[in-house]
Amino acid sequence: MANTDKQVTKDSALKKQTIINMLRSALPIIGLVVVFIVFNTLTKGNMWTSRKLILNQVYVVLISTVGVFFIMTMGGLDFSQGSIMGMASIVVCMLSKVNIVLAIVGGVLAGAAIGAVNGFFYVNRKIKSFIVTICTMFLFRGFIKYMASNSPVAASMKVYDYDTLGIKLGITLAVLAVSFLVFRFTKFGIHLKAIGAGEKATKFAGVRTDRVKFLIYVLAGAITGLAAFVNIVKNGSATANVGNQLETQILIALVLGGMPISGGAKVRFENIIVGSLLYIVLNNGLIMMGLTTQAMQLIQGVIFLIFVALFADRQSLSVIK
Amino acid sequence: MSEIRLQVKNVSKSFGITKALQDVSFDIAKGEIHALIGENGSGKSTLTNSLTGIYQKDSGQFILDGVEVNPRNQVEANNEGISIIVQELGTLDGLTVAENIFLGHENKFVKCGIKNTGAMNRKATELLKEYGFERIKASDMIEHYNFEDRKLVEIVKATYFNPKIVVIDETTTALSGEGREELYKQMKRIREAGNTVIFISHDLPEVLRLSDTITVLRDGVYIDTVKSSDVDEDGLKKLMVGREVSGEYYRADYGERVSDEVVMRVKNVTVPGLISNVSFDLHRGEILGFGGLSESGMHEIGKACFGASFDREGTVELQDGTQINDIPTAIAHSIAYTSKDRDNESLVMNQSIRDNICLPSLKTLANKLHLLRDGKLKKFAQQFAATMSTKMESVDQFASNLSGGNKQKVVLARWIGKDSDILLLDSPTRGIDVKVKQDIYQLMDKMRKEGKSIVMISEELMELIGMCDRIIIMKDGEINGEIMRDKDMDENTLIAKMV
Repeated sequence: MANTDKQVTKDSALKKQTIINMLRSALPIIGLVVVFIVFNTLTKGNMWTSRKLILNQVYVVLISTVGVFFIMTMGGLDFSQGSIMGMASIVVCMLSKVNIVLAIVGGVLAGAAIGAVNGFFYVNRKIKSFIVTICTMFLFRGFIKYMASNSPVAASMKVYDYDTLGIKLGITLAVLAVSFLVFRFTKFGIHLKAIGAGEKATKFAGVRTDRVKFLIYVLAGAITGLAAFVNIVKNGSATANVGNQLETQILIALVLGGMPISGGAKVRFENIIVGSLLYIVLNNGLIMMGLTTQAMQLIQGVIFLIFVALFADRQSLSVIK
Repeated sequence: MSEIRLQVKNVSKSFGITKALQDVSFDIAKGEIHALIGENGSGKSTLTNSLTGIYQKDSGQFILDGVEVNPRNQVEANNEGISIIVQELGTLDGLTVAENIFLGHENKFVKCGIKNTGAMNRKATELLKEYGFERIKASDMIEHYNFEDRKLVEIVKATYFNPKIVVIDETTTALSGEGREELYKQMKRIREAGNTVIFISHDLPEVLRLSDTITVLRDGVYIDTVKSSDVDEDGLKKLMVGREVSGEYYRADYGERVSDEVVMRVKNVTVPGLISNVSFDLHRGEILGFGGLSESGMHEIGKACFGASFDREGTVELQDGTQINDIPTAIAHSIAYTSKDRDNESLVMNQSIRDNICLPSLKTLANKLHLLRDGKLKKFAQQFAATMSTKMESVDQFASNLSGGNKQKVVLARWIGKDSDILLLDSPTRGIDVKVKQDIYQLMDKMRKEGKSIVMISEELMELIGMCDRIIIMKDGEINGEIMRDKDMDENTLIAKMV
C-alpha cells in the first residue's frame, strides 16, 4: 500500500515536471509569434513592411550569440563580447585596406586572441568568468576609445561590395549550421553540457575540462571576430562605441530564447535563433512605437527579469562559474 | 516500565520524491540508552536530525515530557534540552575550543554587547576539567587538535548543560578504543542522571552491550522496539533486513590462488597531507581491499591511482609501462573509478542517464566523421543500464532523480560499457540497500573471475573481509599492515591495525 502511494506521488510529480518543461520550451516561440503579431497590429503592419531593415540587424547579434551560447552551456558568462566586437571591427577596418580575406582572418584572430586572454585567466588563474570578462571588457573598451575617439577607423570602400544579402545571410547560416552540427552530433557538445551540469563529475569521467573551457572562450572570441566583419560590411567604419553593449544584447537574446542561465543539459540550440529574433523584433517594435530610450530600457529590464525567473533552473542552481 | 521521556508520533519526512520517514511512532523512556538501528538509508539519521532541528519534519509530532517540541535549529533544540553529536566533524575551524563549546550560547558571556572571552575560557576550562579532558586547552584554536580530541570537545559541547536527550549519531566508528571508552562512560553518566541517550550505531555487538532498548527502522518505516536482553545479533539483523541474510551475500570461496601477474604497480605515492609513501601491487583477477578510519587517507588511494590527485608524487605504472598521471590517460588505459562522493564526482547529476553512461565511451561511439547519433547513444546506454538492472523510467531521465543504489548502478554501467579492466571502487556500497549491495558484490565476483582487477576502498569492515583477496589497512596516511583472505578473520584483527 505504502509502495503504491509512493509510486503515485512519484508519477504525478514527474508528470507535473514534464508539463512545466513543455510549457517552458514552448514559451519563447509563442512569445515570438505573439510579440510579432502585437507589434504588427500596433504599428499597422509597419513592421512587416520594414522587415528587411529589421533582419539586417539580426545577423551580428545572431552570429555572436552562438559563441556565448557555448560559453553559457558550460555554465560560464562572457561580458567582454562588446569589446571583442569593437577590437575585431577596428582590425577588420584597418586590414580591409590591404586585402578583404586578410581582414576576415585578422578579425577572427583578434577575437580569438581576446578570447584566449579570457580563457587563460578563467582556466589557469581560476578566476570566475564574469569577473575576468568584466575586466577585459573595460580593458579593451579603453583600447577602442584610444584608437577611435578622435576619428572613427574607416574601412576601405571595397567592403561595401560585400554588403549583400547573400554574404550576410550566408555567413550567418554557415555559422549556425556548423555550430548546430558540432553541438548536437559531436562529443564536444555532450562535453559542454556535461561541464555545465557538473564539472567535477565530468572531469572524473575523463573529459579534459580545462582544455574544453579554454577552447570555448577562444572559439567564442573567434566567432564574434567573424561577426565583426559583417558589422563592418554593414557600417563601413568603427567608432569608439562600436560593439557597445553587445554583451547585454546577447545575454537578453539567449534568455529570451529560453536558455537557462546556469547552462547544463537543458539548453537547446533553438534558444539562439528564437532568442535573437525575439530580441530584435521586440527592440524594433518598441522603437517603432515611438518609445523613448529610457522607457525602452525599462520595459526590456522588466521582460528580461521575467524570463530569467521563468527559466532559472532551480534544481541545479549554483554560482555561475 | 519507566516514565516516558519522548514520544515520536506519526513522523514523516520526504526529500523530493524519496520518503525518508513514513509515519514513524514509538516511545523512548527516561534514564535509558535507546539504540536506533537499521540499514543505510533506513531513516535513523533523518529521524534524529528532525528531532534536533537540523531538518524540518513534514508531519507528525515530537512530544518531550508531555510537551510538543518543534525546534527550528540546533540552538533551539539545545534550549529544549536536546543535543546531538553528529557523525562527521561537528566543530568549526577558526574558533577556539571554548567558542566551539558555547557556540550559539554566547549570550551567557555577553555584557553590553561585548563578549567576555576570559569568563568563557574559564568556564570552558572548568568543564573540560570536570570531564577529565585537562589536556585540551579552552583558549586554543580547535584545529590544533586531532579528530579524536575534537570529538571529545563535541561531547562536552553536547552534554555540559545536562540535556534531557543526547543523540549520538554513529560517532563511535570515528573513535579509537580509548575515545570510545570515554564516550561509553559519558553515555552511562547521562543515563544515571536520569536522562536519555539516543544511540545510532552500525556495530551490533556494541549496541547490544550498551543499550537498554533497541528500535529498528527499515526503509523509513518503524519495524519494532525490543529489549536488548531479549535479542541477539542474528535477531537484530533479521529485523533490519526483513529476511534471513543468506550465506551467499559475499563471495563464498576461500583459498583460491591469485595470479602473480601484476597489472598495476603503485610506488612511493605521496599526496601531501593525505597519504605518504604508499606502495603496492595489484594482481590480475584480484580484489584488493583498503580499510581504515575514514581520515586514514585510504579514500585518496583511489584518486591517486586514477591520476586525479592534486600534487601527487611517486608513480602509478601499468603492466605495459604506461604511467598514470591524469584522468584521460587512466581511462584510455582501461582504468575505472567510482568516487565515495557519488553525487559530485561520479555522476553529472543534472544530466541524462544516457549521457552519464556514454560520457567516457563517446570516442568509440562516434562514426568515422566523429559524429554521434542519438539512437546509437541511447541503445548503448539502455544496454548497460539493463545489464545493471537499473530501475528507471528511461535513459533520458536525469540522474538526480534516482535513488542512491540506482545512481551507483549507473556509475558502474558506465564503466562496464567502457569495459574497464582495473576498477578502483571507493565505498561502492555506501548508502545502498541490501539487495543492491548483493548485486554489486556478485558483479565484483564475476569481474574477478573474468580476470579484471578491483581495488575496493571501504569503511565497512565486513564487506572487506567478505570480498577481498587481500586487505591493506591504512593509518595516518600510511600502510599499517596487510592481511590475506581468511575464513577466520574477524573485524577485531582489522580494527587493531586501524587505530
